[in-house]
Amino acid sequence: MQALSTIRRYRWKELYLYIIPILILLLSMTQLLLADKDPHSSFSTKSLPTIQGLIPVLGLVAFLLASNILLSFSPLRYADQMLLPLVGLLSGIGMLMATRLGPDIGDPRQGTRQLIWILAGIVLCMIVLFILRDMRWLRRYYYVWALLGVGLVIVTLINTFHVGLGNLNSPTHDQLNIGPINFQPSEFLKLCIVIFFAAVLAENSDIFTAGNLRIGPLRLPPVRQLIPILIMLGIALLFFLFVRELGLALLIYGIYLSMIYLGSGKLSYVAFGLVLFFLLGFVGYALFGYVRLRFAVLGVNVTNWTSADDSLYLQNGGAFQIVQGLIALSSGGIIGSGLGLGHPALVPVASSDMVFTALGEELGLAGLFGIFGLYLLIIYRGYRIAIESLDPFSKLLASGLTSIFAIQTLIIVAGNMKFLPLTGIPLPFLAYGGSSIIANFIIIGILLRISYNNVLEREGLAS
Amino acid sequence: MLQLDVFLLILRLLFIVLLYLFLMQVVIAITRDLKVASTSSASENSGAPVLGHLVVIGGSSTLAPGTRFNLMPETSIGRGPANTIQLTDSFISGVHTELRFRNNHWHVIDANSRNGTYINNQKVEPGKPLIAKPGDTIQIGFIQFQLTP
Repeated sequence: MQALSTIRRYRWKELYLYIIPILILLLSMTQLLLADKDPHSSFSTKSLPTIQGLIPVLGLVAFLLASNILLSFSPLRYADQMLLPLVGLLSGIGMLMATRLGPDIGDPRQGTRQLIWILAGIVLCMIVLFILRDMRWLRRYYYVWALLGVGLVIVTLINTFHVGLGNLNSPTHDQLNIGPINFQPSEFLKLCIVIFFAAVLAENSDIFTAGNLRIGPLRLPPVRQLIPILIMLGIALLFFLFVRELGLALLIYGIYLSMIYLGSGKLSYVAFGLVLFFLLGFVGYALFGYVRLRFAVLGVNVTNWTSADDSLYLQNGGAFQIVQGLIALSSGGIIGSGLGLGHPALVPVASSDMVFTALGEELGLAGLFGIFGLYLLIIYRGYRIAIESLDPFSKLLASGLTSIFAIQTLIIVAGNMKFLPLTGIPLPFLAYGGSSIIANFIIIGILLRISYNNVLEREGLAS
Repeated sequence: MLQLDVFLLILRLLFIVLLYLFLMQVVIAITRDLKVASTSSASENSGAPVLGHLVVIGGSSTLAPGTRFNLMPETSIGRGPANTIQLTDSFISGVHTELRFRNNHWHVIDANSRNGTYINNQKVEPGKPLIAKPGDTIQIGFIQFQLTP
């Protein structure tokens, strides 16, 4: 009897959804190995380290299946069953791309490192799932998250000043190098901010909706509730001004706008926020050369090349990266050149910032649309979990986390395609970068836990 | 070399085909999920006679004006799942209001809610039910409804 009910409640849907991703990953790895034999490709497995063959993919598959089995035999079997297959496929493709690009950009162990980060991410996701008994714990100590966020900001600022502030054209200072590990604190900062915002908005939801403070025709929440949020906004500005990470400032501001709207339902707050954003944008544009340069790059027309474009192309930090990215995207065509058969390494920083163009060249337009589909489904699932939540904090947390995901993907994809200025934030799960993978897996873990709590509340199952 | 080229081409096409198959698989799972959710909520409404309706006028970011809710002889309204009408608005308490049809009148009882219940802007005190007539505006939390027959 016990065995029968366990079989019935097993996560069959998730297992069923894993079949095709596993096939895809095995197929792609085979293709990579075969591409080595092809004389036309720029890829050579001879420079791959000792981990060769199908082992990386098999390792990933084993961990994913193990997580499926682990969850099915624990009380958490009711958590959402579609998120992990989607995420697993995305991270698998990311790992393959890192393996493929590694030898070409002189860092042959990149794929292996990415694999280790992904496996660590899956483990962390499971830990978060099991530990987060209920959301009240996150909510009660929200000032801890705020302090942690501030701590991360301070660490990044110290790093900035250490590296050198005077050079206005230098690249982002967002990265910390501790020995062999490259740590990007901003990825965890965004997590702290969302938890903090969700807690503040949930606590004071009625005050925010009432909106007692009036400025002209706009209504604002009273000052006391506004202060913590303004502080967080100030942090976004700090990143913009000093750390020189445009994308992060955009991301934090976007999170702020979406969470304010989700928490209060008032478009006037959003309008006010947008006006403020444009004002600050103009100020930043006027003050900083690197901002002007990034925007000038947007104006480069690849089909009608002018001499002004030439100077921008050759300039340090100018249009070279974007133009090469666009060329890569267009040479991919509809079905792409095939994994391992193209030349994505010609684009600078192809494995993290411009990984979208690398994927575009090798997987083509069809492949890119497929990847968009994967992201859209993850975002849909996240918002669905938010809708099904019963208490305001879980709702805000789930929708805030999904919004980070959505806004981040939007910013970096638009940056790669020259719709927005290029920024340094990583494409979730596909870009090479340990902190990004870990932070995103933690987000998935929190979403899964919220979905489990929803099922508990709706169906009244004893926990 | 020709055979390798062809084989690689097949692998590339297969990748894309499988990717779209996967997307379709997830979408089918999603639609099946949604159908189950909607049939389970529809089946809860069959049986008891409908004696009136509450129509949303405004005040909610999640409910569009014009949304109708059926009123049973005894209807509880709140955020929790055990209510007859479940409103997932953050400003609605777990059990917010009860509407009872007695002696041809609708009695509105406030269940000690945080944000209050109002009939035509008159507050309903928790111990003292008030009577609402069709055409009255009933405000639950920040959401306004019109009581219709």
